[in-house]
Amino acid sequence: MLIVDKEGILIRYNVKMEKSMTPEDAAAELYPKDEIYRAIAEAIFEGEEDDVIEGLEAAIAAGKEPIALIDDALMVGMKVVTELYDQGVIFLPNVMMSADAMLEGIEFCKAEAGSSPKPKGKVVVHVAEGDVHDIGKSIVAALLRANGYEVVDLGRDVPVDEVIAAVKKESPMMLTGTALMTTTMYAFKEVNDRLLEAGIKMPFQCGGGAVNQDFVSTYELGVYGEEAADAPKMADAILAGKGLAQLRAIFHKH
Amino acid sequence: MAVKKFTTMAYSNADEMVFGRAKSPVKAGLGLEIGAGYTTAEVNYAPRPEAGETKEKLVNEYQRITKDIMSRMVQVGFPSVVLETEHVQQMTNHPTWGAEVAHAQKTIMEEYHEEYGIKCALRHTPGDVRENKDFLQLRGDKYNVVMESFEAVADAGADLLSIESMGGKEIFDYAVLRNDVPGMLYAIGVLGSMDMEFLWQGIAKVAQQKNVTPAGDTDCAQANTAMFIAGGLLDKNLAHTLAIIARSLAGARTLSGYEAGAKGPGKDCGYENIIIKGITGMPMAFEGKTSTCAHSDVMGNLIMQCCDLWSNESVEYHAEFGGTTVQCWSESLSYDCALMNTALKSGNEKILRDLLMASDRFRDPQSYILAYDNAYKVGQAIVKDGNDIYLRSKNAATECCNLLKSAEGLEMTKFETNALNKAAAELAALTSDSEKFMSDCMEKYKAEVKVFKPENYAL
Repeated sequence: MLIVDKEGILIRYNVKMEKSMTPEDAAAELYPKDEIYRAIAEAIFEGEEDDVIEGLEAAIAAGKEPIALIDDALMVGMKVVTELYDQGVIFLPNVMMSADAMLEGIEFCKAEAGSSPKPKGKVVVHVAEGDVHDIGKSIVAALLRANGYEVVDLGRDVPVDEVIAAVKKESPMMLTGTALMTTTMYAFKEVNDRLLEAGIKMPFQCGGGAVNQDFVSTYELGVYGEEAADAPKMADAILAGKGLAQLRAIFHKH
Repeated sequence: MAVKKFTTMAYSNADEMVFGRAKSPVKAGLGLEIGAGYTTAEVNYAPRPEAGETKEKLVNEYQRITKDIMSRMVQVGFPSVVLETEHVQQMTNHPTWGAEVAHAQKTIMEEYHEEYGIKCALRHTPGDVRENKDFLQLRGDKYNVVMESFEAVADAGADLLSIESMGGKEIFDYAVLRNDVPGMLYAIGVLGSMDMEFLWQGIAKVAQQKNVTPAGDTDCAQANTAMFIAGGLLDKNLAHTLAIIARSLAGARTLSGYEAGAKGPGKDCGYENIIIKGITGMPMAFEGKTSTCAHSDVMGNLIMQCCDLWSNESVEYHAEFGGTTVQCWSESLSYDCALMNTALKSGNEKILRDLLMASDRFRDPQSYILAYDNAYKVGQAIVKDGNDIYLRSKNAATECCNLLKSAEGLEMTKFETNALNKAAAELAALTSDSEKFMSDCMEKYKAEVKVFKPENYAL
């Protein structure tokens, strides 16, 4: 059998570029100083749901307000996670597990307080009509929640009528649509047309599988999301006042 | 159909495996014999979306595609070709649509075969439509629709029957995003295998009745999802070591189709097919450097090492500078096959195989394990406990980890190594009692995954 040294044939750039700092070291630099908050943030980073609840119980026992803990501890911990993900220090499954732990923590705080906090903004997510491939949508929803957005998840294979009705009811800041197949992504055009007919002009972020920038550029409200991680970035850009043309300038990379 | 488990390897050693030759070649279609000493291009395509509006438009689109491919093959002088039609959903949900497409395609292929003598065969791959909006629905009405589709396309001229089955995906999608290796094992190795055994007995029965070939499946729904999420070297979504563990599990899972009656050629996007070829000796389709029209991978040359059919995965039908997409890609595929066939005819096939393998061997943990020598070892681990779908899957994943841990010449990031070590430890801690694993997983995933319906697996 022929074995040839890889020198000059290939370069594992991921090995070459890997940061020397461990994820735990990098996270330690970002945790809040307050010990009560830090314990919760660490539990979020580790994705340990039980430890999150334990930390919250201790914080409440120490006199902290449950709703305030969402911003002061849970979201702070989640920000550590999303920052390290954006820097390439940790990978998506860590974000997913941390998001699960954060959501459980938020539910606990809401139950303790008997009220709900005000989210950064609301986003409606769906998978195109005729398409049941929803792992991309699940990632988008988790990353949005991880970044403090309220997500209304319409699920998969969502009829256009249902999308329009949800947008009218929820008045979100952004709508997202994902599709794996070229045959189903054409539903996005119909959603676009129906929104415009109803006089609704809002960013409609589309991505996934065979969806590409050229296609999304063919309808007025479309903004292409190449990566799931673009979803919270796009929501942040909308909060910062960017309009459709500016969003396309930022996120249409090709 | 009876189920016959594989407990031995078809090849006595890895070096016996080459492209273009399989222990059990498959005769199909018009003069074609797959794995009988030559390789053949398998061309895949997708209609333009607007063509799906009506049956007439769709049939017309596939006629254009078929004529384009056949004419290019003849114009450039290639001796054989396989066409694969992966159904758009309308074609499976309305079996008469699929049948009319198959009939139209086969009619054109027969004309070319008659006039030029070109050897050719038609593969049809109905969609796995066994699901409703919220849940997989693997048994019952939807299963019947899939079987009706197979019957209809077989009657209408399809020579090779395939599917990309979805069993286990509801658990896999949950597990892969949480680095849950036991969950991946349960999804791919156990639930996927159980569903394939059920499904492929039905497909094999249809094929026998219609005198066509029950070809094969792929773990596209799971192992390819892992591969795509893992992405390129700089992507940060999944450790590539976990993606290849999923692929090794897929070896144990996809084997179930051949145990339930499939005869090959396996489906192109089953990168696990190298493991399957070692175990079954059946011919396999692969895709790699000539499927970049559909997706990127990190083993484009290597995966060609032992192919019998060489595929482009899929390309949307439209115009390019060099003709239509199907003409361009069928020509590229066929030139690759001409090179492999020259190597076979001149006795240089092992040299070319090794050059293809060596050029990607150290590109990634995925390519390292799918190098034919290592894939063969994963196959051996599977057949060691071939009668137990849990144990053989666990063996496959464990062997994958062992090979990576002892790899020489493969560089891995700390992240990849950490994920590997964690996975290996979790696998080592798993029970060797299949029933206990099953009952533990049932309890865990029924509680954690809302869309998990055990009745899909007769559990």
